[in-house]
Amino acid sequence: MPSGVDTSRYLGLYVSEAQEHLEQLSQNLVKLEQAGSTGPVIDEAFRHAHSVKGMAASMGFEATARLAHRMEDILDAYRSLKERVDRATGDLLLSATDALLGHVRATADAKVLPDTSALMGALERKLWVLKPDTTPRPSSPPPPPALARSLGLPPRFALRLKVAAGSATPGVRAFLAHKRLSGLGNVFDLRPGLDDLKAGRLNDGSFSLELETALHETEVRAALNTIADVELASLRLIEPDAPSVPKTNEPEGPRAVGTEPARTVRVRTELLDQLLDGAGELLLATARVREVAKSAPAASRGAMEGEVDRLNALVKDLHAKVMKARMTPISVMTDRLPRAARDIARRRDRDVELTITGAEVELDRAIVDELNDPLLHLLRNAIDHGIEPPVEREKTGKPPRGRVQVNVRRDRDRVVLEVEDDGKGMDDAKLRAAAVSRGLMTPEAAAALPMREALMLCCLPGVSTATDVTDISGRGVGMDAVKRAIESVGGTLEIESQKGKGTRFRLLLPLTVAVVQLLLVDVGDETFGVPVAKVNGVVEFPEEQLARSQASPLLPFGNTLLPVYSLAEVLAVPNGHVHAGARPFVVVEAESGKVALGVDRLRGQEEVVLKALTRPLDLVAGLAGVTILGNGQPIFILDVPRLLT
Amino acid sequence: MRHVVFRLDKDRYALPLAAIREVVVTPEKFSRVPRSAPSVRGIMNLRGRVVTVVELATLLRPDQPEKKHEGPPRKIVLLDRGRRELGLLVTEVDGIEAIEKVGPAPPKAPATVKGLARLGALAVTVLEPEALDAAVAASFSKISRS
Repeated sequence: MPSGVDTSRYLGLYVSEAQEHLEQLSQNLVKLEQAGSTGPVIDEAFRHAHSVKGMAASMGFEATARLAHRMEDILDAYRSLKERVDRATGDLLLSATDALLGHVRATADAKVLPDTSALMGALERKLWVLKPDTTPRPSSPPPPPALARSLGLPPRFALRLKVAAGSATPGVRAFLAHKRLSGLGNVFDLRPGLDDLKAGRLNDGSFSLELETALHETEVRAALNTIADVELASLRLIEPDAPSVPKTNEPEGPRAVGTEPARTVRVRTELLDQLLDGAGELLLATARVREVAKSAPAASRGAMEGEVDRLNALVKDLHAKVMKARMTPISVMTDRLPRAARDIARRRDRDVELTITGAEVELDRAIVDELNDPLLHLLRNAIDHGIEPPVEREKTGKPPRGRVQVNVRRDRDRVVLEVEDDGKGMDDAKLRAAAVSRGLMTPEAAAALPMREALMLCCLPGVSTATDVTDISGRGVGMDAVKRAIESVGGTLEIESQKGKGTRFRLLLPLTVAVVQLLLVDVGDETFGVPVAKVNGVVEFPEEQLARSQASPLLPFGNTLLPVYSLAEVLAVPNGHVHAGARPFVVVEAESGKVALGVDRLRGQEEVVLKALTRPLDLVAGLAGVTILGNGQPIFILDVPRLLT
Repeated sequence: MRHVVFRLDKDRYALPLAAIREVVVTPEKFSRVPRSAPSVRGIMNLRGRVVTVVELATLLRPDQPEKKHEGPPRKIVLLDRGRRELGLLVTEVDGIEAIEKVGPAPPKAPATVKGLARLGALAVTVLEPEALDAAVAASFSKISRS
């Protein structure tokens, strides 16, 4: 049933897009409330509310659409009155945004939408206060044609549909038709309502709706042809003088009105992972083709190798692009912090100013996904446990408004993310005492810990300096999870704190390579990982046939001869392996240029999470990191450029 | 102060309990650390953490030839180094004993030895955790410089 597939497809799109609009809306509201600004921010907020309304209406979620509509009205009123959004209204609008998010999430989980009638009432009262002369309007009224055109809205059709009298499931049929039409554009004025429609409570077997779509009339008709038992009784263009619109082959999803169509597409992370896997496999496959080309007849060999080189270059480029596609700006995580900061501060009676810098710095998607919650947790800690109440701050000569800074910057091949507050700082004595009282260490050991390590005690499970347990944060369990999350992506956490002055959490994060695609090679009894991105090719070649220049062996590769190194010798790994016949060589890009590393066996490819080397392993030259394979075996990842220096 | 008492072959050694995270059994296989000193046995996977394990006997007496180990599987004493661990491969762990008085170390003893103590009739060499860690790091830097 094709329409069923369509429904679920659009539902996913609806959920993700609506959530995005609502998150941005909530950011806009925080900004509005803070700066009291009008102008572009309120316009933006209005657009987000409007988009959500349209999307929800087209999906048939009328309660959601109504709620969004009320928000839109209030925002519009503020826009036209040029009045400042006060705190109470900020609260109201933010609660409404949250309620809308609740609706969207419930939709995603196929649950009943939460009841928001009370909130609806509050919004309507607020609107009445703002604009007493406007009477409450029915939900989702169609904008007058002139307005529609001025907003750049697509033309609107009035449709009347009839379910065949003999249909065993008129409700299902009608619902399918509605879904199908929703996929074509925005649906308004559905009569009877969706619930009645689903239940088959139709008026004489027919129902009507208005459809706003960029599609041509014939396409709308064609879309309905595929729904059995439903017949189009009438179709009429509401606005006869609408400009003709270019045809599109695909049904268009709901669109934001008044915004430029974004030149990006949404891709599931899973798909990105698969793309990376695919690109990695291609690299290896190319290497194998190169091997086969070696045994091609002499006449065609040169041409083949040339083509393989070209192929290799293309595949490497593809691999690099896929890696790049995985890069996500940190703003994806930090954009929701202002809202969170505001809420936490309100609940704990703190006055906090949050500044964020460097949000444009990019990180691998996998890292960003992992750090979402830890970052929020650090922010909570900073406000909840760091920043003192305003009165207390003034007593100690600080400005009543606390400052929390989230600073992000690139530092060579790392990203440094700091969460810093000017609050009361952490009490290392309390931490030491807590560690002792939990039996984690002796009083001597605790007393002997250097400051740095003492502060890290807050990351031990169960150690917490928070004297009160709030609904916002209990430091103990959380910091443990924060540290683990950071380390799981190959990063490290450092804490600096000065009593009375503030605390700084510093996250040192790998840029891209938290997830590395490795070529696993065996040398003697050991296995090592070579980052696939550094591999130029894999060649099997009989060792005794290697060319020699003076004493060093050379491997023919493409049109050149490459210096050969035994990886066992380079790494000082004992190796009793005797190679009868061909031996595998991995061609890599070293600092001095391409070289061939002789290995004993190729074990294939694996995607791993790179872990940073801890002392003393970081003292070994030629190692980039360490990882644990799927079978539990820990292996080293070679630092190819510096392997031979 | 309570100490963990263990043996290297027949000799008894002790480390402060506070410096020890736990004692684990030897895994089937270590992954070798390339370009490392002979005392470094390899790395192991300890519940998802990568731990460096050293042959304590070789670390303490680098000039003595390494003995082939026989008998029951050996133990690894995990030294607590804050955010990481260092594994010390020992013959067997005897138990936890209170050692209050530690006498001076023999004149030519390395920095890793804190001093000598008596447990009843037995002589115990008390080791210094910080110095052990430093000795391992030193063995690595020596290699990478050579």
